[in-house]
Amino acid sequence: MYAISDPWIPPTRGLLAGMPMPLLLVLGVLTATAGALAAAELVPLTPARAVGAGGAQGALLATAVTWARSGRRRRTTPLMAAILVFVGAVGATLSPFGVIAYLAAPVWLCLQRDRLPAFGLTRPPIGICAAGAALGALLGAHLLLTSSLTLGYGVRVPTTAHLISWLAYDAGANVLTTEAFFRGALLDRAQRRRPFAMSSALVTLLCLARYLVDPLLPHNLEVMAGAVFYLTLLSLANCWMYWRSGSIVPGIAAGVAFFACYRLLHVVS
Amino acid sequence: MSAARIRAALGPAAILLAITAGLAAANVGPATPWRHLYLVPVVLAGIRFGVAGGLVAALGAVLAFGPFVLREIEGHGPTWAAAEGIVTLVVLAVSGAAVGSLAARARRQRERYDTLRAVQRALADPAPLDRTAARLASVLTERLRVDVAGLVLDDGRVVVGADHVDPRSAAAYVVAHREPVFVIDAGTGSRARRVVVVPLTSTDGTVGALAVERLGDFSREERDALVGFGAALGLALDNARLAARQRRFAEELEQKVSQATARLGEMDRLKSDFVALASHELRTPLTALQGFSELLATRPFAPAEVRRLADIMRAEIERLGRIVSDFLDLARLERGLTPSIRRAVLDPVPLITAAVELFRRTRTSHRLELHVDGALPHVDADADALDRVLKNLIGNALKYSPPGSCVRVRARATEGVVAVDVEDEGPGIPPEERARIFEPYYRMRDTAALGHGTGLGLSVVKSLVEAHGGTVHAEAAPGTGTRMTVMLPALP
Repeated sequence: MYAISDPWIPPTRGLLAGMPMPLLLVLGVLTATAGALAAAELVPLTPARAVGAGGAQGALLATAVTWARSGRRRRTTPLMAAILVFVGAVGATLSPFGVIAYLAAPVWLCLQRDRLPAFGLTRPPIGICAAGAALGALLGAHLLLTSSLTLGYGVRVPTTAHLISWLAYDAGANVLTTEAFFRGALLDRAQRRRPFAMSSALVTLLCLARYLVDPLLPHNLEVMAGAVFYLTLLSLANCWMYWRSGSIVPGIAAGVAFFACYRLLHVVS
Repeated sequence: MSAARIRAALGPAAILLAITAGLAAANVGPATPWRHLYLVPVVLAGIRFGVAGGLVAALGAVLAFGPFVLREIEGHGPTWAAAEGIVTLVVLAVSGAAVGSLAARARRQRERYDTLRAVQRALADPAPLDRTAARLASVLTERLRVDVAGLVLDDGRVVVGADHVDPRSAAAYVVAHREPVFVIDAGTGSRARRVVVVPLTSTDGTVGALAVERLGDFSREERDALVGFGAALGLALDNARLAARQRRFAEELEQKVSQATARLGEMDRLKSDFVALASHELRTPLTALQGFSELLATRPFAPAEVRRLADIMRAEIERLGRIVSDFLDLARLERGLTPSIRRAVLDPVPLITAAVELFRRTRTSHRLELHVDGALPHVDADADALDRVLKNLIGNALKYSPPGSCVRVRARATEGVVAVDVEDEGPGIPPEERARIFEPYYRMRDTAALGHGTGLGLSVVKSLVEAHGGTVHAEAAPGTGTRMTVMLPALP
């Protein structure tokens, strides 16, 4: 029993200690530059968005990888994580089949699983994974129902290419990086320093901020209100599932299911 | 989830659906007063299922009522009605958590009393402390709903939950500093493991530490309750210890009383035997004296025969005198007095030689050997007492060894004492009886056939030797037989 037979060493490191600052600085500059150039209409919007999203999401994953390998084996580089996310984002803009490049990051993470024991890639109980997928689908269905019946948004039937593209983006970049950073890294660190309720509230706030500043989210009032409503519920549920299972997989299942429904709305670009 | 819980959950769910269906059918806005009906299922679920139930019901209510608010925002922008709807959503979420929390708190309070009762039942078991502690930890693990509970008691000698106490552990810190420790993460797995260690305090200080670990939160209230629980447990353990000590004391007392009663019973039996033996021992010389005196009075004898009869009568009178002396010494011993002795500086060798020579003359059935190792130092002793001691030991050796065997008397000086060994070739004394042969009235089993005696001789020997500051003990002689050794302090 830890309390009796193990030495008690109070934690001394802060919540955000050990961030890969040089890499984050480079990715930040890259994202900001892409945004500025696109705003000044010096580069087309699509490649600028790809660079910006790749930089931002790469930063999230790189930080998660850095914290997960902290104090342990250091061969897994955060730079590689950032590059893979970036390659996925750029690849998707180059060719319709380029979206497959998004899957490089999750495949690489699976291969590195043994070297990232604190990453939250442990195999969760199948029940909680199913619950995650069901919750995401429930929220997504509620969103579709509310939006189509009460708000008047249309629901489109996706083509196979669209569906593959969405799933690859969400599983390989959007949801993966969000869950890896906000649940696998930030919540994991926060819950080892603060009570769960406080940690999940903090993580949910930051997660909301991440989506609300995302240029891909349509910035009108009802969409923003809906995003706050659904993403708050999704984030809190994912925090709870991470807390129960110690794995980000149920959160990924919930996120992928929810965003798949979300992208069926006609308003989403 | 059990069928009863599922049935209990169906009620709030049905109410929730009915309210939503009613509001949708009435096509009302988010500010409708009927929206407050959502509080009913939320409160019910919170009371029945605690925080989790309250939150799930609140989530259901928020999902059901949310579209009314979103439609208002989409249709009319951020109106007061939309604001009222948003406030309602927040109130529902907070109500679910708050009601659930209060209900859970009340339930936990009741469980704490149950836990204390279970602990007292576990401590009432008169088992050793380590077994009681293990049972206690098991009860606490179940009752406190933690993953594991451990105890450190009795200065770390009794540990439950681990095989040793690390001196740098949280439990060791708590025992040393008498203050609780909350470790927010043990850092041992992919999930955060909370640890609470509280001191077990009693009136005399800290009697140990209680440690609990859980893959889940410990609220402030729970931690405070654990501190109070530690105090209650410490007192209960203290009481259990006192009760165990009293039980042990009562058992020891009962055992001692039982032993004393048995001993008194045996003493009584020995005294009864002694009275019979003493009567016999006194009657034998008296009968001889009576018979010989009548012969001398009624018949004429030759002078040589008269001398022989007189010698016999004198020997019987001496025997009577010894018996009476033994009785007197015994009477002094039983009053807690030492035998009266008149000490003088004397050489022990002539005394030993005289005693051996006396028996050599009178007991020709045995061989008597005397060995004196060099010159012996003088002793401060009563010559009569020493003579009685030697005659008693040599007489016993002759009495209990077969005719024709050898009795050896050896005198030697060693380490400031004069030691006299009297060694026979008799049947010997069983080890378990060696300590008892010096007790008054005690006679070894199966010795009645070997010779007469009162059972007082060796107890008198012991008291006389101890009155001189010496010791006497019995041991097995090489081969068969017994060696009795008397040690008297030698004069420098």
